[in-house]
Order: sequence, then structure tokens, then C-alpha cells
Amino acid sequence: MANHTYCDGVQRRDFLKVGALSGFGLGLGLPQFLAKAGDGAVNPNAKGKAAIFVRLSGGPTHMDTFDLKPDAPDTHRGEFKEIKTNVPGVRFCEHLPKLAKVADKFAILRGVSHTLAAHALGTQYLMTGNRPLPSLRFPSYGAVVSKEMGSAKELPAFVAVPNQGNDPTGFLGVEYGPFETGAAPRAGVRMDVRGLALRGITLDEVDRRNNLVAKYDQAFGDFAKDDKILAGMDEFSAKAYQMMRSTKAREAFDLTRESPAISGLFDDQSFSQSCLLATRLVQSGVKFVTLNLGGWDTHNDNFNRLKTTNLPALDAGLSGLFATLEEKGMLESTSVFVTGEFGRTPKINARTGRDHYPRAMFCLMAGGGMKGGQVIGASDAKGEGPKDKAITPDDVAASFIHSLGIDPTKEYHTPSGRPVMIVRDGTVIPELF
Amino acid sequence: MKIRNLFFTMAAAAVCLPAMATEAKEKLPTAEQRFGGKIEDAENPSFRRHVVPLASKLGCSGRECHGSFQGRGGFQLSLFGYDFKKDHTAITNDTKDDIRVDMDNPAQSMFIQKPLKQIKHKGGEIYEEGSWEHNLMLKWIQEGAKLDVVETGAFDRLEIFPKEIVARKAGESIQLKVLAHWADGTVEDVTQFTRFRTNDESVTEAHEGGRVEIKGKGDSHIVAFYDNGVVPVPVMLPVSKLVGKDYPKVKTHTKVDALVVDKLRKVGLVPSETCTDTEFLRRVTLDVTGTLPTSDEVKKFLADNSKDKRTKKINQLLQRPAYAAWWATKLSDFTGNSPQQIRVNNLPRDTNLSGMWYDWLEHRVAENVSYDKIVEGIVMGSSRTSPDQTFEEMCEEMGSYFRDKNPKGFEERENMPFFWARRNLRQPEAKAMAFAYSFLGVRIQCANCHKHPFDQWTQQDFKSFQAFFTPILAGTNNRSEGKGNMDYRTLTAELRKEANYDRNDPQQNLNRLLRPIIEKRLKAGEPIPWQEVYIRQRVQRKYTPEQIARFKRRNPNFNARVITPRVLGGEDVLEAKYEDPRAPLMEWLRAPENPYFARAFVNRVWAHYFGRGIVEPADDLNLANPPSNEALMDHLAKGFVASGYDMKWVHREIMNSDTYQRSWRVNETNKLDEKNFSRYVLRRLPAEVVADSIMQATASDDRVEEFVTNMDTRMIGSASTTNYRGRNGAAYMLQLFGKPLRENNCDCERTSSPTLLQTIFTRNDPEMLARIEGTARGSSSWISELRITHGESPRDRANAAKALQLRRTLEGMRTRAKRFAANKPRKPEGNNPAQLKQFQARLKTYQKSMAKMQGTIAGYEKRIAELVPPKAKLSVKETDAMITEVFLRTVSRYPSPDEMKSAKADVAAAKDPITGVRDLLWAMLNTKEFMVNH
Repeated sequence: MANHTYCDGVQRRDFLKVGALSGFGLGLGLPQFLAKAGDGAVNPNAKGKAAIFVRLSGGPTHMDTFDLKPDAPDTHRGEFKEIKTNVPGVRFCEHLPKLAKVADKFAILRGVSHTLAAHALGTQYLMTGNRPLPSLRFPSYGAVVSKEMGSAKELPAFVAVPNQGNDPTGFLGVEYGPFETGAAPRAGVRMDVRGLALRGITLDEVDRRNNLVAKYDQAFGDFAKDDKILAGMDEFSAKAYQMMRSTKAREAFDLTRESPAISGLFDDQSFSQSCLLATRLVQSGVKFVTLNLGGWDTHNDNFNRLKTTNLPALDAGLSGLFATLEEKGMLESTSVFVTGEFGRTPKINARTGRDHYPRAMFCLMAGGGMKGGQVIGASDAKGEGPKDKAITPDDVAASFIHSLGIDPTKEYHTPSGRPVMIVRDGTVIPELF
Repeated sequence: MKIRNLFFTMAAAAVCLPAMATEAKEKLPTAEQRFGGKIEDAENPSFRRHVVPLASKLGCSGRECHGSFQGRGGFQLSLFGYDFKKDHTAITNDTKDDIRVDMDNPAQSMFIQKPLKQIKHKGGEIYEEGSWEHNLMLKWIQEGAKLDVVETGAFDRLEIFPKEIVARKAGESIQLKVLAHWADGTVEDVTQFTRFRTNDESVTEAHEGGRVEIKGKGDSHIVAFYDNGVVPVPVMLPVSKLVGKDYPKVKTHTKVDALVVDKLRKVGLVPSETCTDTEFLRRVTLDVTGTLPTSDEVKKFLADNSKDKRTKKINQLLQRPAYAAWWATKLSDFTGNSPQQIRVNNLPRDTNLSGMWYDWLEHRVAENVSYDKIVEGIVMGSSRTSPDQTFEEMCEEMGSYFRDKNPKGFEERENMPFFWARRNLRQPEAKAMAFAYSFLGVRIQCANCHKHPFDQWTQQDFKSFQAFFTPILAGTNNRSEGKGNMDYRTLTAELRKEANYDRNDPQQNLNRLLRPIIEKRLKAGEPIPWQEVYIRQRVQRKYTPEQIARFKRRNPNFNARVITPRVLGGEDVLEAKYEDPRAPLMEWLRAPENPYFARAFVNRVWAHYFGRGIVEPADDLNLANPPSNEALMDHLAKGFVASGYDMKWVHREIMNSDTYQRSWRVNETNKLDEKNFSRYVLRRLPAEVVADSIMQATASDDRVEEFVTNMDTRMIGSASTTNYRGRNGAAYMLQLFGKPLRENNCDCERTSSPTLLQTIFTRNDPEMLARIEGTARGSSSWISELRITHGESPRDRANAAKALQLRRTLEGMRTRAKRFAANKPRKPEGNNPAQLKQFQARLKTYQKSMAKMQGTIAGYEKRIAELVPPKAKLSVKETDAMITEVFLRTVSRYPSPDEMKSAKADVAAAKDPITGVRDLLWAMLNTKEFMVNH
């Protein structure tokens, strides 16, 4: 860790504290990584206390999901019809009937627009709220939230079901990375989540082993208290032990403990079960959960694929998620953000498919004080771009972060000293709040 | 060679400061003397020399104020003030009614009134009316508010007195004096125009006007900034009374030690003792080969009584394949070998270009090819191996690396083009940044948008440097170069035809169709359409004024000026016309006078061994971030050049020093030292080393042997280059422990912070537990072997072996059953009778198979239960040997008598001795002693 000034010529504030504590100016004295959890100034009045991020990877078509154009020409319109929802005036695809019954719970953002038509770049943009730069990797929302909001006592702050993809933490570093479950949960099966499940060993055994480590981990003696790396390891050992002993942590992952009234709201598929898991995790104190539903890259055979696979899965999972959050009284305190990396071409291609199209896409936002049952923004008559003012991914990101009481304009310093805001270029969307 | 002289004139001036201290110059008048008092008597100020530096010092052009890219209050200055023309225009050119500079009535200028807060100013009052600062700004307007960049000429250098401050106690205060030398011979006292900054405010602080205050013990720098000059002044307050004459006698065996102790003596730091042989062996083996020493190696080394056994060990380790593997991985980090960024869409997924990059490096490290030669191969890398190679020949050559029969070794190619082929390096500015990061250890990116805040680099420097990279292209080269009829387009068309591709068929997916053909062709060594790295000099066009006006309308930033390439800190590469702009760049790099090339490398090697560079961060060489020990840096860099860029010279020079071999045990003086290398600073093992060490510590004896010699399965080697997320179940682990993605131009991508999830992993992750038990895919472990070999009777042993085998089959069966269960047929929606019928039939078959599977599983479970579990009874000697082995395998030392005693009790208390040994092994793998290098 360098003790020199950052790119803007201003010294980082928390360095002052660290430098002072180190006594001698011979390097940093305090572990950087211990000054971690919950070091943010989170607005206590914000409604969102935790978040669920649902990634629809591949880039779902807006034209056949939440932004249908029944009056567009045949070349664009697509096969699906619109249906009414429980919110007067809000209509979307017929293959999302369950979501239509809970449309009052979430807001639909239409005419969200950007210009990056490649999966990797689009994904980076939508998962960080910042347009990708070659010289910098931005942290994903989950890393920001675990930095700002810290962790629950017996659970990790950030859980990815089943995983999060490359580089979830960007310039923030591994301290804020996700706990990856590695597998998606299955219906009616207790999930042996890696690292926390005690496979065939008892709690007594956990205690015995913990004592064993303590007994043989004496090589550094008292120096372990003075050395930053050693002190950090000891703290994490204590915490890991606590977590492994915790019934709460294990039960959070155990879907068989859910009441039939709740688990009945979901189907047996892995996305649905992941949604159920997310609600349990948040209920137990996890701050951020990432879920993934893939298969949206429909360059060919768009309509068959959507109606047989993707839309039923999305419908069952998301409707269950919203209903469960509502049922458990957690919708107000849980911010939900559903998005792909881009929309798809309004014009249907020769293979009855739709190709990458960032100029128009949709996002769904719910909970965390964000008003549901409304449509914000609009695309033009053929769904080819925003009708009036575009909503940018940055705006959506700023709103998401804001709903959690985190200031999206808060600045971090990258390891190379560059000052960077959490969301560099976004404005909170006023209609959401 | 003739261009070389041109390169270094400026670099030399920037790096070394010729001692020109003269008494006379110290008596130069100060700014206050020149501009204070009555305004009529004040000197005529210069825009460049006085106005801009003053605005910068006062913070006007800072990021929070008018230096912001949005400006403030409609007024924008260049960030850190170096774009004189732009700033002059911003100050003097009114676009609206506002009079920022009022020539008729200078005192009424906004530029004058705002900082005095005579009119509303968000930044508040900056200086008082009648102050010298006020006088200076006002006088400048009175004299015509002129831009004088041409008249002032070039800035030469900055000179500071005193050159070093060694304080006696906290609270002391020292006045700095700063002289600016201009190329025209002018010398001015610019102390009051200079920005000062401390590198550590717990040691020292710089106050307004260059007064330095000593705050506390330690050593750091005060850095002075004026115009393009950046000069650090070392400031130290010894941490103990043991300085100078009172410093204890410390033997210094090597030049490195002498230079390190020179500095320690100044700061009052007494170095730690040298480490023990056990500590040394573990440390050096981990550092050089990324691997733990084996138990045998520990025993042998400790038993060896020869005096030079440490040096011998160092030499021996540098010969091992693991050294080449580990350093090919490190060089892959530094050069940005990112599998994601050089993936080619139409290639089969297992085409491992990143692995080829790695192999190319590994081959050279193993042969100890000189560093400049390796870098040359990377920098000069083009896809065509000779200038007259045709597209077809190139494709054939590429094909020859992939063919099944007798493939050519890619590592034998003279150059390696993938550095430039990375997708995140499409833009020339990205190439410039990556080049500066990899080979210069310089973070030039700041200067892409504004004057570098800690270095001499201006935006113009960046643009001129970037010009080298504009002709380097990567991608589809449609132009048929050289002779031959084949090019990218024709070959692509041929493949499409072969695939019967019909662009109007909705069910066809081009990539899916092409992939098998490409795969087939690759295996046969036939050409496929390769994208390539190539050079294309842009034809310099002369535009008419009309054209320029038209382009400018379309793009306000359009600039018809052709930018001449210029190396950092040198001069234009004008005279020689190079076909390949990389040639002069390479010549500049490897020239002995290059101020960065050798330093960047030796500093990274140093950082590898000490966890911290002599310049830290190790990839951030800039004027404001000086080495903590300049003499040491100089010695290593010069020695490296003199050795002919022999990498092993650097390794040996460092590792043979006592400085490297210091103990982590601290004394009263050095317990907080992290930057003067007076003790060994503990640090967590790197991600790949953690993965490999756990593997090695738990592996069965025969696998340990193989593991040491065979690099194919090692995470420190090629196993981690491809798509490492999927390999050997180590993916999650590598990510947890901070393996770098190599996408960010920053050594900081590799992290060694401990985290909670790392601890959870080593304590309880199934991957971890499976490695100990030997149930991980395809691997038996030491413990599983012990279970077999230590059954009670031969029959028990046989049974145990059989049980183990059955258990493995059972595991496989369970996995299959699980997978099968996930594929349970789903009831179709709707009431289509045909579909329903089909579903019923499939369900029936499924249920039948499932029942059968479950039956088999139950059968296996029963048979395993019948085989009596082994209850090993070990002799005392056997138990002792196993306990010792646990310690040797994990912490590379023998257990202490106390540890032995307590381990025996623990093993005896376990439900069976092998389980006791297993638990001890698990515990040792979870100690800090295992996880850190010490």
C-alpha cells in the first residue's frame, strides 16, 4: 500500500487515520482489510436494507417481454399478444401471466438505452452502472453494497447463486467479493452449501477442530497481535468459526424449512428455487444476493424458445419472489433490480431471431421504497429507441444504489489513486421514489 | 544508434540533479519581495512562470475547483495547470457579458474580484487585497494579460535546498528554498509559487511557503511541484537513538546489505537476525518455485552442514522447472496475459492462446533468455513471422502449432504477437498505457486526460508517445499483403461454402456450423482465417483548409496536425523513418540509459521477494514516488543492465543477501518498519501457491514426487492459464485468494489480503476436505493411503482398500444419480394428447432407471458396511513418524517436543489413529504458519 497522494492531488482521508495510528512513518500500521465492513455512511432513513439483483444474461428482448408493440408492422411486432395486469393500463406479454397478477409490486422501465452491443461490455455496464473503461474495472453492485453496508453477524454480506462471473469486485478488491454457492438449489432438497454445510460432522466436532487449530497455531506468539496480516487472519478465523456453528446460517440455505404456503409460490426449476433462496437469505441478514437466469441470446428461433423455456421460468421465479417478499413483509426493505445486458433488435431477422440491440431495453425495479405498479419511460413506436429522453443504465444504477441509502456520487479511490464515484454519470430517477 | 543521443537529453535532466548550489542563487529575491508592496514597483509578472503556478498553488486549478472537467461557475482551468493556451483563453476570452478580464479597468475584472471575494465567489476569499498575490494578478492584467509561453522558453529543472532533511526531534521546522532554472539561463526563487506535498503526514508536513514541520519518527519525502518540475526531498526523524556513531556494528556481506544498512543507520533501524535454516528453506522454495519444500528436502537441508548450503540451494532452485513456471506466470501478470482478452470467437473453446503465451514465456525463462530479448519478442510481435510472408503462409504457420500430427512448438517462434492482440487494447491510447505499465512500470494514464499530477508528463507527452502505437493493428486484415491469392475474405468464403451456410436459413447458426470445420482444419493443420497483428503506417494526408473546416464542423476535436512519435522523456523520432514504429521504441527500451526499463523489472523482482518494492507500488515509478533507497535501486538496475539483462543475476543478487534472509522476529527499533527492509515482513501466500501447497501437503507420496517435477497440473504453471475457473475445482479457490485477471494494467490486481471467505474455504469447503480425504476427483491422498496401509491385519488392509475403491465407485454413482434426477422429464403444458402420452412413456422409463440406480447404490452401501472398517493400531514409532510428517508437509519443519507431546495425545484420543492424524493435518493447514510466508 502506497502512502502517497492520489491522482487528484488530494490525500485520502482514511489514510490520515491509519498513518497516525501506525506511530512510525515506516509504512502502514493498521490492516487495510479490517477497516472494511460497513465503513460507508449509509443513510439510515433509506427504505432498502438489502438487495436482490437478477441478471438475465444473454440480453432479453424487450419487444416480446415487457415492451410489446402490437401496432408495429409484421417485420417487428412478433408473435406474442399483450395481456392485462392487475394495474390498469399496464400490459405486457401473455406468457407472463403470474407476473401480471403482481404487476403492482414492481416498476417497468422502458426505453433504457446505451450503445454497447457486445455481451461482455454490456454486462459490465449493467452490473456496475458504469460504462466500461479499458483502464479500470468497476466493482459490481454487490461489492459496493458489502463495502458500504457490511455483513450480517453469522452470514456473508454478498452471496451469488450460483456464481457471479469474472471479477465481481473490480478495483475494490477481494475483501468485498461474493460467497458463491457454486450450485443452484433444487426443490425440496436441503442445500449443502459449500463451506457452511457440516457434512456428517457434529457441532461438537466443529468445536473440537477449532480448539485444535488454536493449539497448534502458536508459531508467531504475541507478534500475531501486532502484525496486520496475522491479526486479520485471527479475526477471520473467529468469524468463520462463528458462522460454521451458526444454525441461522445453515437454515438460511435450507429450503426444506420453508412453509408450504411460501414454497408453493414457486415451481421446481432452479431459477425459481434460487429466487426462494434469495428471500430466505435476505431474511437472515444477507445484504446482497445475485441470481442469474440465462438463455436470452435468441439470435434464432426466438419465439419458440421464449414461450417454452425462458418466459415460464422468469414468470414463475420472479412472481414468486415478489409475492414472497410481500408476504413476509420484506418488499419495502428489499431493493430488487432485474436486467439483461441489452435489448434485442426490434426487426425480426431471417432466422426468426432477434440480435443484440442496446438502443432499447427494459429493466424492472421493485422494493426498497421504489414505487411499483408503474411504467417509467417509453420506447418509440417500433421499439427502436427511447421515445423521448432515454433512461441510461447509469440512471437505473444510481436509483438502485440510492434506494439502499448509499450516495451514488460517493467517491472511492482506486489502488492507482484515481478518484471514482460509485456511479459516475447517473441521476436518480425521480418517478421511482 | 544515432537516434539514441536524441532520446536521452531530457530524461537525464529529469532524473539527476546536477549539483549547482551556489550561495549567490540562494539570495535571489522571493516572490513576496518581487511582487509585494506598492503595485507600481512590482515586477511585470509572467503568465507561465507566475500566474499559472500561483493559481495552481492556491488550488484554483484543482479538481474540486476550476480544474474540474465541468469547470466551476462557468470557468474551467486545465487540471493541475499545464495547458497554458487553454487557460489563457479561459481567463481572457469572454464569451458572455461577464468581464473576466477587463483591460480598461483591470481592478474590475472578475478574475481579480472573485478571489478577493469582492463579488460572490463559491471558493471564498483566496487572498487579501494588497497582498503580493493580488498585486501579481492585477499587475499581469495591467500589463496586457499576455500569454508568454514562447517568450519564456523551455523549463529546465527545479533545484531545492536543503537536499535532505535529517531531523533530531519532532516539532522541528525547516524552511525549503526552491529555484527554477529555465533553458534561457534565468534562475528564479519560486518557493512561494511551489506546491508542496508530504508523502506521509505522520512523519512530516509541508506548510504554506515551503516550511517543513517534523511530526514523528520515520522517513518519508516532501515533494515540490512547479511548472513541469517534480522534486522529492527526503525527510527523516530517526526512530531510535541508534544512529551514526551509536549504531551497532552490523556485518554486511553483500553490496545489497551495505546499501540497505547505510539507510538503516540513518533512520536508526537495527536489522533483525538472519532467519533459521528451516525458515530459509521454506521461504526460498516458496518464493522461487511457488512450492513448499518436500519433507525429504527439509530433512536433507537441515542435515547438510556445508557452509554455503543456502547459496547452493538458491542456485539449485533456479534450475528447477517450477522456477520457470512461476516466473512465466509472474511475467504473464506483468504483460497482461488475459485468456478473456485474447479469446477468438470462432475458435473452438479449448484453443488456448493464453497458454501459448505462457509457454512462450516459460520456455525462455527456463533457458534464461535475457530479459530485453524476451521483451523484444513481445514488443516486436507480429502475426507474420517475416515481412514477405503471405496470408496463406501465415495461416499455414499458425496451423502448424495446432495440428495433431507433429505440431510445431509455438515457443520456438521468435516473437509472440498476442500482447497486441488483446481486445481491451484496441485503441492506441490503451496500447500506450499497457506498454508503459508492462515495460516501464509507469502509470501514464493520468496524462491521457490531464497533466500527470505527480510526474512530468503532460497531455502532449502522452499524445506524442501514443503516436508510436497508432500503426499497430490487430484484427481482420482484409488487405492481401505480399503475394498470394488467399486473404481473410476469400478463406472465410471458402469455409462458409464448406459448411453449406445459407444466410437465409433461420435454423442455421454460423458459428456453430463453422466450429467443427475449424476444429477439423486445425487438427489437420490446414489454414483457417486467422485475425492478425500487423503494422500499417497511415498515409499522411494533406488537407485543404476547406476540408479541415468541414471536418471540424463534424468533430470539434478534429486536429489536422500529424503528431510525431516521441518516447517518454526523450525527443521526437523524426529523422529515421522506420517501417515498424516499434523498432525505435525497442531500441529506446533496452538502451542502458533508459530511465525505467531496468528499474521497473528489478523493482518488481524486489517486490516479489519482500512484498513491497523499493518503489512502492512497484508499478508506479514516478518522480513524486521516489525509491525508499535510491542507492539500492541504482545498484540493482545498473547491475541488471551490466549483466546483459540476466534475470537470474537479479534473483541471486537479492536472495544471497542477508537482507533477504532476515528473520520476521522484530526488535525494539524495527517492529514497525515495512519499507526499509530491516526485517522480513510476513505475507499471505499468493493464490496459485495456496492451491498448489494444499495439493502438495495432502497428496500421496508418489504424487508429491510427480508434482514437484511435472508442471502440467500445477496452478503456478500452465494449468491456470486457460479458463482457470473450470479446472481441477480450483477455480473458486483461485478467485478467493486473489489471482489476477490481468486486465487492468496494475500489479495490484494480484491481492494478498486475508478474507473471511478464504478462512471458510480452508476450514470447511468440500474441495478442501476432499483433498485431505483423497475423495477429490482422480486423486488419492496421503491420508487415504495411510488408511489402506495401516489396517490391523492384512485382511483388514485388503478390506479397507476394497472399501475405498467401492466408495469411489459409489461416489461416482451418486453423482450420476443426482445428475439423472435433475433431468426428470417435465410435464408439458397444455393438453396435447400426443405430447402427454410421450411424457408418460418417458416418465416410466425414467422411473425404472432411477429405481435400478437406487438399487445398485443400496447394494454398494451394504457391501461397504460389511467390510470391517480398519482400526489401525500404530506403534509409537509409526505414530511419531506420521505426526512428524504432518509438520514437515505443512510448515516444513519438525514439531517441537511440546507439539509432539500434545499431538500424540490428540491422535490417541481420536476414534482411530489415522483420523487423529487427519485432524492434525487439517489443523496444521489452517494455521497462520501454513498460510503465510515467513
